[in-house]
Amino acid sequence: MSFITFKDITREYHVGDSVIKAVDGISFSLERGTFNVVLGQSGAGKTTVLNLIGGMDSPTGGSIVVDGQEISKLNQQGLTEYRRNKIGFVFQFYNLVPNLTVLENVQLAQEICRCPLDPREVITKVGLEHRMSNFPSQLSGGEQQRVSIARALAKNPHILLCDEPTGALDSETGSMVLKLIQDVARDLGKTVIIVTHNVIIAEMAENVIHMRDGKIKEIVRNPSPKKAEEIRW
Amino acid sequence: MVKNTLLIKALRDMRKSKAQFISIFVMAVLAVSIVTGLDCIWKTIQVKSEQMYFATNFSDIWITVPNPSEKEMRAVSRISGVARAEKRFTANADADLEGAPVLKVYTVSDQRTLDVPMLQEGRLRSNGGAVLDADFARQRGLKTGDRISIKLNNKWMSFTIEGLAYSSEQINLSKGSAGAMPNHYNFGFIFIREDAVKGAYGINVYNQICVKLLPGADLRQVQLEIDRAIGDKLIGMTAREDTSSGNSVRAFIQQFKTLSAVFPLIFFLVTALITQSTMIRLVEKQRGEIGVLKALGYSKNSILWHYTSYGLYIGLLGAAAGLLIGPRLFGGILVPRLTLNFSDYALSINYVNFVFSLILILLCTGGVSFYACYRLLNETPAVLLRDKPPKEGGRIFLERFSGIWNRMRFSSKLIARNTVKNRMRLIMSVLGITGCAGLVVGAFGLNNMISGISRQVYGGIYLYEQKIILDGKADSRWVHNMRLDAVVQEIKETSMEIICPDGTRVMKPMTVVTDYSPLVALKDEAGRPVQLSDGGIAVTRKLAETLKLRLGDSIQIKRSNNSYVSVTVDRIFHMPASQGMFMKDTLYEAIGETFTPSAVLLKWNGQRDEEFLKSDPVKESVDVKVQIANMDSLTNVVLIAATMMILMGAILAFVVLYNSSILNYTERIRDLATLRVLGFYQREIRALVLTENIISVLLGMVFGVPLGKALLDVVAGTLDDRMDLIGRITLGNVLISGCITLAFALVVNVFVAKKMKNLDMLDALKSVE
Repeated sequence: MSFITFKDITREYHVGDSVIKAVDGISFSLERGTFNVVLGQSGAGKTTVLNLIGGMDSPTGGSIVVDGQEISKLNQQGLTEYRRNKIGFVFQFYNLVPNLTVLENVQLAQEICRCPLDPREVITKVGLEHRMSNFPSQLSGGEQQRVSIARALAKNPHILLCDEPTGALDSETGSMVLKLIQDVARDLGKTVIIVTHNVIIAEMAENVIHMRDGKIKEIVRNPSPKKAEEIRW
Repeated sequence: MVKNTLLIKALRDMRKSKAQFISIFVMAVLAVSIVTGLDCIWKTIQVKSEQMYFATNFSDIWITVPNPSEKEMRAVSRISGVARAEKRFTANADADLEGAPVLKVYTVSDQRTLDVPMLQEGRLRSNGGAVLDADFARQRGLKTGDRISIKLNNKWMSFTIEGLAYSSEQINLSKGSAGAMPNHYNFGFIFIREDAVKGAYGINVYNQICVKLLPGADLRQVQLEIDRAIGDKLIGMTAREDTSSGNSVRAFIQQFKTLSAVFPLIFFLVTALITQSTMIRLVEKQRGEIGVLKALGYSKNSILWHYTSYGLYIGLLGAAAGLLIGPRLFGGILVPRLTLNFSDYALSINYVNFVFSLILILLCTGGVSFYACYRLLNETPAVLLRDKPPKEGGRIFLERFSGIWNRMRFSSKLIARNTVKNRMRLIMSVLGITGCAGLVVGAFGLNNMISGISRQVYGGIYLYEQKIILDGKADSRWVHNMRLDAVVQEIKETSMEIICPDGTRVMKPMTVVTDYSPLVALKDEAGRPVQLSDGGIAVTRKLAETLKLRLGDSIQIKRSNNSYVSVTVDRIFHMPASQGMFMKDTLYEAIGETFTPSAVLLKWNGQRDEEFLKSDPVKESVDVKVQIANMDSLTNVVLIAATMMILMGAILAFVVLYNSSILNYTERIRDLATLRVLGFYQREIRALVLTENIISVLLGMVFGVPLGKALLDVVAGTLDDRMDLIGRITLGNVLISGCITLAFALVVNVFVAKKMKNLDMLDALKSVE
């Protein structure tokens, strides 16, 4: 059985009288420990997919099973519990808490879950051991994103979800961040799902889900994904 | 066109932050309505009483003198500063109605212009006619054309009621005796013609000279001259301010002037504070928009006006609503309860203070908005369009103690750093809550200060159950011979003219008590007993203060033979209600006066001696419960006003809490969303936000108590000259105010928690402000 299974998932939003189908009856499955990309233009529904996997949103139809647990049936409390223990998030705009230092931002995540990694080790892993006691505002964008990754990893999640992780970074910094994600995911055996509109990033993925207008256009299996350092945009 | 688009933007912005703008509006309404409300009370009293004084050609001084001669009348008229002097007859008379009510009789004649009745209907036409007290007539169901009989000089005389009226002398009912407080059922006044009195006495009798002064005349100087002109025949002299009516009118005006000067100030300050934090937040959120407007070429002034207008509109609306609500609410509830007899209670609004409060509220809203925007405008559009660099997280003092710091959970660290980082906002909300807590604590203090007076006087100082007013003919021996089964104490209550060391000459109440004094226990401010001495007099603290008397000072007392004698002030004691002097009967006799009791104080051992109570020398008996009720009815209005202020302070507290919690929440919406995505539970996030609210509530409470005490002290000092009030804030007051504020904090927290629940994590994360 697959690690993540989407079956006939629909997510409708009611805006006034009209109904918008952000995701319209999609099905796919992903294996544990894989590196995946959801690709699409803005409005294609890719972020909705990410939110659904991350337990930040619930589908209006269909079922989602993650690691044997049907998360589409969970209530708010259950979803919070799920996010808390299984999901690590990396955001486009880092979303670090400005009032906490690098170390504290990572501790923030570590404090709430069952089997966290040691925050210092994780920070060392992302190469920021010398920045441990700095505040986010004292870091560059790339460094902030690395803290964000460290924070996601410290929870020792099953799945690492990244929403346009390079969207606010220049190409060089971006590829460094991607390399970091790729490396640690491989080392720690995490399942990674990156949402992006950047076609080049897709070259790194084992599975690429192409989305358009809320539907899956195609799913491409890539037997030989590229390494992060090999790609440039 | 330009203005229109900006106006639309302003309206939409306000709708978006409607909670905040509604709270500013509510605060403006509260501030303006409390000013206009409390102001309209004293203004109404002032306007009404002045109207009545004018309509009745009200005198300034009344001289009690038996049958003044033409020579004496001329002498008084000639005193410089006297505009007119007229003689009249006045007395209390029984009426032939159920319960034997007493009517105060005043005479008028065709020559009389002073102290005429303020007619409501009809007029006095004949010697057999009378003009009756309109309120008394209403209570008794009497109409014009009905007949009424009164007993003058032991003769019953019948009159036709030809008119109904109000009198300037009875704005506050006053019988002129020390007994129970009159009401409209058992007391009223009646105007009859001078010649009608002839029927009772056989000749025209007069016992009073009414004196009207020229504007600007020196009252005290005129009084001295009158004293000289009338000489030995002078029985007494009362100035308008010293009459019961003049006194209560002045006291009420002073009370509400005090309240309206002290309490609203806090409302304005809090409004300014909250508007400031709201507008700074709004303007900072709109950095980008300001940049765009500037880049588009809008002038600095039009942008400034745009943001200032947010505050101005709200302030104007609030002031308008306050003007509509305040007088109706405060005036409508309080004015009819003032126990003042006006023909109607139409409210007068003090527009001067309204305009003043309007300007103040516009400064607090518009001015503050202007300032918030002005700070940003000097930046170039380019700088404004760029994101504001996030506020640097900083280390705080607490971190130096790494032992404590490292043991803290991140949430406590976050709260600690946040509090320090946003200390302006914290200070604002603490100040806001301090203001509200101070208001509520102060109003509670006012409440127990006022409501405690009657108990302090009756039960604390006077320990009797019943006070018997004697007719002045019975002496101590008669009282003794009655062999009453009670604790008995005789006292003499009189007025004496005194001359202070600085030359001030005043008439003040003097109570003469016997050496054996089981029912009168004077105390000092701390509640310790004060014993009268044989060689000196005791003065109430407040009176000593107003007359600048100190222990050991010598004052001159006027004896009944009109000569003066020197006595020493050797005791000062605390009397919450009426101010005056006390002396022992031995001293009274030593200065050459005779002690005849004017009243007997009683504490019955068993049954009341009904026979004694019915005996001839007993003019009146008053139960202490009635006296307590009477005193309470005088302070009732201030109590209601205090309650209303507690309520308003509470509403203000609620609004402040709500506003600062919402601000606290919206400012950190991104952080909170991040925490939610990370998998924090609702309750953990709630605890983060709400702890900060609770911190500011607790701090606000702590500072609010001294503020409340300060407010109370100001009010205690100026509320009423007749009262010596000591403002005390009890632990109970603090606890109740604390509970109210905390309860509000909890309710507000529920609101915020609800808002938090609906927090759209995704939206919050996407948008970078």
